[in-house]
Amino acid sequence: MTTTLFDNSRVSELRLQQAALPWRRRTANFRVAVAIAVIVPPVIVGLLWFLTSIPKPILMLVIYLPLQLIASAIAAWSQRGTKAVLDSAIIVCAIGATIFSFVILISVLWSIVSNGVHALSWAFLFQNNVYISPSTPLGYGGVGNAILGTIMVVVIASLFAVPLGIATAVYITEVRGKAVPYVRFLVQAMSGVPSVVAGLFILTVFILTGVLQSSGFAAGLAYAILMLPTVARTAEEVLKLIPDDLRTGALALGSTRARVVMKVVLPAAKTGLITAAILGIARVVGETAPLLLTALSNDQTVLNPFNQPITALPAYIFSNVAQPYPDAVTRAWGAALVLVILVAILFTITRVLTAKRVRR
Amino acid sequence: MVQTAPPEVRDLSSSVSSHKGDRVFNRVITGAAFTALIVLAGITVFLGAQTVPVLHSQGLSFLTTTVWNPTATPAQYGILGMLYGSLLLAVIALVIAVPASLLLSVFMVFMAPKKVATVMTNVVDLMAAIPSVILGLWAFYVLNPAAVEWQKLLNQYLGWFPLFKNDSGNFLGTPFIAGFVLAVMMIPIVTSVTREVLGRTPPELINASEALGCSMWTMLRYVAIPFGRGGIVGGIMLGLGRALGETIAVFFVLKLVFNINFFHIIQSGGGSVATLIVSQFGESSGNPETQALLAAGFFLFAGTLLVNILANLIVRRTGRIQS
Repeated sequence: MTTTLFDNSRVSELRLQQAALPWRRRTANFRVAVAIAVIVPPVIVGLLWFLTSIPKPILMLVIYLPLQLIASAIAAWSQRGTKAVLDSAIIVCAIGATIFSFVILISVLWSIVSNGVHALSWAFLFQNNVYISPSTPLGYGGVGNAILGTIMVVVIASLFAVPLGIATAVYITEVRGKAVPYVRFLVQAMSGVPSVVAGLFILTVFILTGVLQSSGFAAGLAYAILMLPTVARTAEEVLKLIPDDLRTGALALGSTRARVVMKVVLPAAKTGLITAAILGIARVVGETAPLLLTALSNDQTVLNPFNQPITALPAYIFSNVAQPYPDAVTRAWGAALVLVILVAILFTITRVLTAKRVRR
Repeated sequence: MVQTAPPEVRDLSSSVSSHKGDRVFNRVITGAAFTALIVLAGITVFLGAQTVPVLHSQGLSFLTTTVWNPTATPAQYGILGMLYGSLLLAVIALVIAVPASLLLSVFMVFMAPKKVATVMTNVVDLMAAIPSVILGLWAFYVLNPAAVEWQKLLNQYLGWFPLFKNDSGNFLGTPFIAGFVLAVMMIPIVTSVTREVLGRTPPELINASEALGCSMWTMLRYVAIPFGRGGIVGGIMLGLGRALGETIAVFFVLKLVFNINFFHIIQSGGGSVATLIVSQFGESSGNPETQALLAAGFFLFAGTLLVNILANLIVRRTGRIQS
């Protein structure tokens, strides 16, 4: 018998059909319908935009959105039937929501850059605010003391939050005591503490009782409360990624558990732990409420974190917003730009570090 | 025949160790792990201790009146307007942020090509990283004028509806603007959770629904959203917790009034517990008013803690079903 049961050419034909996914077929008609649905409403609204004086928000929300929904629905209905109408609505709304978020983000970033750039100068970056009033023209005074203050407060916070956060993560992943679920639960709960409450806590415990003055150290403690959950959770994720073979291998070689953690696990997770610390810093660097409660503000450059009030960047922005003097407002934008650049740098570092880890 | 006995099985998962250094190490780490407990307990105890005398002198009227008069004799403190205001702002923020973030995550998970989705993930993370003081600055100078315009239109065309009534003609400092800013803060938080939850929908379920001829809407309605419901609710509540505790951004755009603004969301004036604390603190150092603010902080802490714990329990429960 030489007749083949299967005709090879038929099989490949079948495969082709399968690969073409009939329910995702995009015929020429379909493309034309989509093109019409995508082009016609914006053109109509564009004409209305320039030719009539209908207020823009109404034009977008009351005319464009329904028009786009209807146009897409008709296109979908003509090509795929009634079932596709709701799909088209979801697609339109989802793209709308995406554009909405992008517009807001771009608006925020653009306003910071375009307004803040006027304030930037070497004087702005390095001088402090002594003898500067809100009406002093730009070019004098700046955020030098605030940058120094931010660095100081963040370093103090890190000194507490990073070791404690990593220790918490080590407890969860390495020591694996009985309380792991509770510890994890508490860390989660702690991440929900509002920043103003963290400030109030430090205020009550240390400042109202007279143990500490309003100072960089007190603000650092408040920051540490906000920072610890982020560090602990990220570090936990990182330590979980370390293969168990490393731990068992080290144990099999006879090392003690403490050594396994200190000499094998933590070094292996080094970049990840740095990422955890940076994410924690990025989480707190813009917090304002704790500063207002625990560090107050100070126009002078402060080098001692214990004995006097200190200004950090968010507090500097806070005090310059809503001033009736345009130069003060521009200073606020400038400080915002500096803060955003700081956050962006931290962010980029974490991305580079994680990218490296993934590649390895 | 010599049979080699299998090596003794050591339980590597337990922390019991006879080595002395290990025991010290374990104790240190265990102690450090309870920092979270110490902090949470400390906040409860210390702020709670400040709340007791306030409740003693004010009675329940601290929670049920809207008067804040530190100079009266006896001084009167009531935060009902603030508590209600916080809730109103949170509701406005939820109404804006929840649909937006759900649609955003649906777009990222089910519609966008992979590269676009990656870019959008980064964009959402970036949004989450913008400090709230900067959002406040942006809201004060950029959003305010635009939002006044929107609210005037709303009032002009829908003013007959009580929600959009405005008698004063002042459209600044309204709950709507503050709620909008909170929504901007919430969107990245909620989106990052819902995106993850929707992304965990088993592909075989999606394929099966597609094979049965489901449209995307049917798939979302009957597969993806029921599957991730718990996670979605939890994500929303995490965002809610953040919105309740937000201080500075609201401070810039909301006109704080102690009377309750029930539902005139585009009328100037509203309340927020967190903002009350910062706005009154400057003038109140070291007197009974500070204590009243600390008490307000205690209730804020209790509220956000409750919301957050509930959120985490819900998220965790769905995680268990999925794994």
